[in-house]
Amino acid sequence: MIRSLDKIFAFLKRDFQSEVSYRVAFLLQLGGMLFSVAAFYFVSKMMDPKTVGLDGMKPFPWMLVGLAFQYYFSTALYSFSSKIRSEQMLGTLEAMLVSPTPTSIVIFSEAAWDFAYGAIRVAVYLLVATLIFKVELHTNSLGTLAIGVLLTLLSSAGLGILSASFILYFKRGDPINFFLSALTTFFGNVFFPSALLPGWIQGVSKVLPITWSLEVVRGSLLLGKGFTELQGEIFYLALLTVILLPLGLYFSKIAIRKARKDGSLVQY
Amino acid sequence: MEFAVEAFEIEKTFVKKRSLHDLLRHPFSRAERVRALRGVDLHVRTGEIFGLLGPNGAGKTTLLKIFSCLVLPDRGRALVGGEDVEHEGKVKPKIGLVHTDERSFYWRLSGRENLEFFARLYDVPRRRTRARIDELLARVDMVEPADRRFADYSSGMKQRVAIARALLHDPPILLMDEPTRSLDPSAAMALRTFIRDELKGRAGKTILLATHNLREAESLCDRVAILAKGKVRQIGTVEEVRRWGVDERRFRLEVAAWPAGLAGPFRVVLEEPLDGIRRVTVALEGDARLDDLLRRLLDAGAVVHACDRVEPDLEDAFSRILESEEGKEEA
Repeated sequence: MIRSLDKIFAFLKRDFQSEVSYRVAFLLQLGGMLFSVAAFYFVSKMMDPKTVGLDGMKPFPWMLVGLAFQYYFSTALYSFSSKIRSEQMLGTLEAMLVSPTPTSIVIFSEAAWDFAYGAIRVAVYLLVATLIFKVELHTNSLGTLAIGVLLTLLSSAGLGILSASFILYFKRGDPINFFLSALTTFFGNVFFPSALLPGWIQGVSKVLPITWSLEVVRGSLLLGKGFTELQGEIFYLALLTVILLPLGLYFSKIAIRKARKDGSLVQY
Repeated sequence: MEFAVEAFEIEKTFVKKRSLHDLLRHPFSRAERVRALRGVDLHVRTGEIFGLLGPNGAGKTTLLKIFSCLVLPDRGRALVGGEDVEHEGKVKPKIGLVHTDERSFYWRLSGRENLEFFARLYDVPRRRTRARIDELLARVDMVEPADRRFADYSSGMKQRVAIARALLHDPPILLMDEPTRSLDPSAAMALRTFIRDELKGRAGKTILLATHNLREAESLCDRVAILAKGKVRQIGTVEEVRRWGVDERRFRLEVAAWPAGLAGPFRVVLEEPLDGIRRVTVALEGDARLDDLLRRLLDAGAVVHACDRVEPDLEDAFSRILESEEGKEEA
């Protein structure tokens, strides 16, 4: 376990070193976040605070949390597969896979920086929202928030590894990523409450981890709800996590074996 | 353990990727298959440098990828350090792969940062990492440029870092895929000396080296296998392979003049002038003896200044082997 964490840290360090070598791009990205928060602030002004599904939350913080965590989910969907592709193109994947580190750990660790960067991004969004747009965040249930974030991380990683396995197996990835990304954005309570959708279709949002993830994060951060009040949502999120993560790891094993068999593991 | 790397009747066929255009035009036709390895059988002794020789597409790289656990064979078994490549967790700690591809590093990081990253993947204990990297950088003569960006290194320097990376976890077996391919002649020579003296001589590594550079194989390898079209055509010491298919021995004689009409169980292959005398290359056929030739020469009044054995060339042997096998296949 400690050895695996050590490896994940090595990937984080490598990507940080590489990222800061492009200093201007790094700073411009952080600057870009400021503008997207401001854009959402003004878009949310058009929303009626009494809209069904907002559950008493103000539109701007509601959307902001949705935006920040949707980024996390799309990172999960795209990061594993795009990192593997880029390592294949760079020619570095072979060097990693010939090392004694198990292939599954290499795949998992590849996305570590994107997840860490996603966390920084969430923090920057919330900081900008608090300092500039005077959004009030509750800090009395940080433990519940931490559980929500951890489960978000693991469930989205499960989805991401599933998608990366699909790419390794079929050598085609974008359709599944596009589909899952569109699905989570549309049904996942991200930019509008799913309660606004026709009743017969609302059920789709219940099987998406992002729906429960946002319920927990919004509940704890914007309404100050504690663990007991959010235990139902946490249960569903945990349930989806224990299904998606092992499923992702299982399929990644099958995909890696097939790729070793047909010689395509390091081919772009 | 007598053998460090072994292949038993390995077969590998790759299915060629079909383009979308091709799939749409011929949706029911089968994808093209390429037989990369056909019944490959070889046994690399512990502590030797073994060369895999062959033209491009012979199957050398596929074989190295199988021994590196990157590709699984369709049939047959591959053992590395006594472990089946099916069990990659047991094989990988025993091997170091030296890539020919300079791109296998992160170019925006320094050589040292690259090695630090790979040290984690190679399970070098954190407390020993710095000392191990310093030691390896010294061994490959890269201490001074270690903190410069990898992108700024010459091809020779990149290759030396590649060797340092393969040695991070001190594996007993090194797999090298054309290690001198992108190097200039002097850098290539320095690397060969390092492989022979340092890696084999001092560290006692077993080295499996794929190359199509026959001079390199001649100067480095204890034994070689010649691969073509996925099959092992010949296997043996460099000397044995060099002499394959040669039923004559050649000698180079320096004589004042070659006697006209001299006959016997030999033939003159080449005659050329050399500083006022003649240099003549003679092939002795069958059981013909050198002393018999010399006696005939002296009896004919020739003055012999020097006589050397001309060793068969590996390059010629390589061509002979390939031609003979192609002939067999056509037949």
